[in-house]
Amino acid sequence: MSGHLHEILARGLLQAGAVLLAAPLAEGVMRKITAVLQSRQGPPVIQPYYDLLKLMGKEDLECGESPWMQRLAGWLALVAPLSVAALWPGIGGQGPAAGDAILLVYLLTLGGVATLLAGLAAGSTYSLLGISREMMTMMVLEPLLAIALLVAACHADSLQLADLFGGAIYGRSGHSGSGLLMLGVLVFAFQAMVSRRPFDMTEAESEIMEGPLMEYSGPKLALLQWARMARLVVSSALMVALFWPGGAQLGFPWAALVFAAKTAAVILAVTVIAATHVRYRVDQAIRYFGGMLLAGLAALGLACFGF
Amino acid sequence: MTTPEQAVLWAALLCGAGAIATLIPRSKRLSGGIAFLFMGVAGLLVWWAVARVLMNGPGEPETFVAYPAWGFALRLHVDGLSAVFLALVATVSPAAVFFSIRYLDHHSGYGPRRFYPYLLGFIGAMVAIVSTTDTMYFFFIFWQMMTLTSYALVRFEHRRPENVRAANQYLLMMQAACALTMLGALLLAPAGPVASAGGEPVMRFDFEALALQMPMLLREQRGVVTAALLLFLVGFGIKLGIWPFGQFWLPDAHPAAPSPVSALLSGVMIKTGIYGLIRYFLWLLPEHTGDDYPVAGWGAAMVVLGGITLFVGTMQALRQEQAKRLLAYSSMGQAGYLLFGLGVCLVLLPSAHPAAPSLAALALVGVLFHTLNHGLFKSLLFLGAGSVQRATGTLDLNRLGGLLARMPWTGAAALVAALAISGVPLLNGFASKWCLFVSAIAGGRCAPYLPWAGAVAILTSAVTLACFVKWYGMIFLARSHRRVPGAGADRLSIESPWTMRLPLLLLAAACVALGLWPALALDFVCQSLQESWQALGSGLGRAQPWAAAGITGIMMADGSAAYLPLALAAILAPLVIGAILLSRMGASARRAVSPWLCGYVREANEHRLQARHYYGEIHRHFRWLGGAPPPQPQPDAASGSEALPGSNPPPAPPDCSRP
Repeated sequence: MSGHLHEILARGLLQAGAVLLAAPLAEGVMRKITAVLQSRQGPPVIQPYYDLLKLMGKEDLECGESPWMQRLAGWLALVAPLSVAALWPGIGGQGPAAGDAILLVYLLTLGGVATLLAGLAAGSTYSLLGISREMMTMMVLEPLLAIALLVAACHADSLQLADLFGGAIYGRSGHSGSGLLMLGVLVFAFQAMVSRRPFDMTEAESEIMEGPLMEYSGPKLALLQWARMARLVVSSALMVALFWPGGAQLGFPWAALVFAAKTAAVILAVTVIAATHVRYRVDQAIRYFGGMLLAGLAALGLACFGF
Repeated sequence: MTTPEQAVLWAALLCGAGAIATLIPRSKRLSGGIAFLFMGVAGLLVWWAVARVLMNGPGEPETFVAYPAWGFALRLHVDGLSAVFLALVATVSPAAVFFSIRYLDHHSGYGPRRFYPYLLGFIGAMVAIVSTTDTMYFFFIFWQMMTLTSYALVRFEHRRPENVRAANQYLLMMQAACALTMLGALLLAPAGPVASAGGEPVMRFDFEALALQMPMLLREQRGVVTAALLLFLVGFGIKLGIWPFGQFWLPDAHPAAPSPVSALLSGVMIKTGIYGLIRYFLWLLPEHTGDDYPVAGWGAAMVVLGGITLFVGTMQALRQEQAKRLLAYSSMGQAGYLLFGLGVCLVLLPSAHPAAPSLAALALVGVLFHTLNHGLFKSLLFLGAGSVQRATGTLDLNRLGGLLARMPWTGAAALVAALAISGVPLLNGFASKWCLFVSAIAGGRCAPYLPWAGAVAILTSAVTLACFVKWYGMIFLARSHRRVPGAGADRLSIESPWTMRLPLLLLAAACVALGLWPALALDFVCQSLQESWQALGSGLGRAQPWAAAGITGIMMADGSAAYLPLALAAILAPLVIGAILLSRMGASARRAVSPWLCGYVREANEHRLQARHYYGEIHRHFRWLGGAPPPQPQPDAASGSEALPGSNPPPAPPDCSRP
């Protein structure tokens, strides 16, 4: 496998770059649609690019006692979702990757870890409240995605992402009970996974003023916001890869386009829900996620015994 | 040429000699220096023995002292399994002793003569207990040496009644464990000396005699075997700290001991429990036992017990408000992973599936790898907590904070350990958990419930992360408490002396190295075990547990799971550089400011988020799991204005007149 190292590297960086460039566009589309739903005109679709560019040049205020940790957290935050993109086995491809589903789960968590470090390094009370909420959400939500991957792994008898993506979760029959149950669970939990309303307790602008991001400004804020956008794209793509097969046989440009279109559809759904719902309180949300987690474990139980 | 057995005996005797030598000087530093001298040589001898086993394979057992009339013989054997645990002892112990030299300074009023002799005796006993083949007399002697010396170390600060209570509990539980395991050996022992495979007569309580007796017992007295295995599971389980036994002693004893001792207790001593379990379950039962004796049933029991232990231990750790207590609970959680992995191995071993032996071997190799890793990062965390205690005088998470700026080296090393134990990729904790998870999930082919148990283990991994976010954040990040020395003053360093930093940095370097090159550790474990397989484990010896992937990576033998840390690092490095360049692109100026609290009040200790405020919703749902933190002493609760020199001014009262 060592001969593939350069291939892993080249494809990984290409995918990471694509997500990095596309993420603000997704955010722009979200804002536009939200505005339309709320009878506003809204900013132009490429506004997030301007926002990020502007933030890059703004003054960088550091309130933490360990500014190095704040910087590190900013870099790590952006790198984490991009590394998930880099791990992708290619659209419908069987290319080699740096790791398997277990690594994917832990890399997804790494993004959360970066947010936590950012909040802790800033150290203001609001930041700490925010990271406590973020961690609680992670504790209940990250396992859901892990469980979905494990369900697919049970059906595919492999942990390599290339074997798990493209509908393996529905089993050989194509409509396994565990796969469908997991689809239901993730549809209901997805909004929280990308921390959009009604589950944006971590930032909660109107309550704890952006939580962990509160003390950040300038380029660090740009990195953290970019990371948030990239996380949305990567998570949506993961949903598509796991639960929405089809189109991979179309060949190089078309398969990628179909995949992108499906990912855009997921992001659209997230936007519509976020724009039309109000935020849950953190205790309500945790109870809701707890239910999801139990349903997920039940689905995995089914998958273990081949259903 | 000195055999490994002789080297190990010499090392243990050197520890004993060091214990006597350190009785003489009064000076703490001199005493520490002498102790390190003896420990260093003993550590080198043990490493030499390990290297011999690694290169030449294990030799024959050697008898040093024998009284055949009493059935009593000091017979040592360093095989592959012993070598793995000896390597752990010989890595962590010198670091802990070296750390003690300056650490002991702050225990004023407690002399070194109550510390170093016991410490060296403790280490010598650990070296001996993983090498002896006597399951009765010398097992008892070494176990008692290990227990009594560590008992004395746990009650080192004997003027605090809670420490004495913790030590007494510890002593009681260890004696119970000792009695149970010896009773188990008594049940299995033949009536008199027997002839070993090599024709040499061995005493009736020798491990080899027990193994020779085993096939007969399995045919005729199966109940006795089951009873003995149950006794071993409980006895060594107490040592390992599994639920529910660990809760009685571990969380009190580990924080009560001085930090280098806690590091050894958590990093090394509790591992003798998993050593015993592996030894008695895999090396004692004859090959093909699984055909008619329910070995898989024992495995299932261990998976369940391990699953409960890792979940409960980690959940209880989440609630703690004292730095070392949190680490102690988390040690129980990590011990749960070890038991879980051994369970997976035993479940898969008798299975007829073609992939089963390779998966079972991967599980066991994962257990041994995690044992080494946990020894590295948990002792690093305990030593780090010791540095913090020496610098600030407290371990209360509510009264620390912001130490990264004041203790940058200690803080950086502790960050590596905290991330490693949370399973962040590229560090060693992830690699060993990967082995355990992969074997459990892929083991679903043979035992359908294993992936489900694996999911619980992965879920608990997120809880571990939460524990260490709280632990690291409240000590090294956030904002410093008013009573932290140097709070308010700009970057006043309270960093430890280099003799205390060096062991931390070396342990952290080991965590990074094994994280980037997990194949190295797996090679070490496999190589040491290669010729040691006998009895039930023989099947594992023939299996190929893993394959090399990339240059340093690991892959499941059939390629259905892989982890390539170098490839991952090669991807992450340009991404990080890109992120740094992006953030520098606008050439924005940096400015240090104080946090913004909506403009009404200044920052004050009264608004600090307290340890119990973290994860409130989770605690509310899991209160029934127990493990509530004991009330912390509050020295400044009454006199709030009693401030240390250089600390923040008392907080301004909130201005309520404005809207």
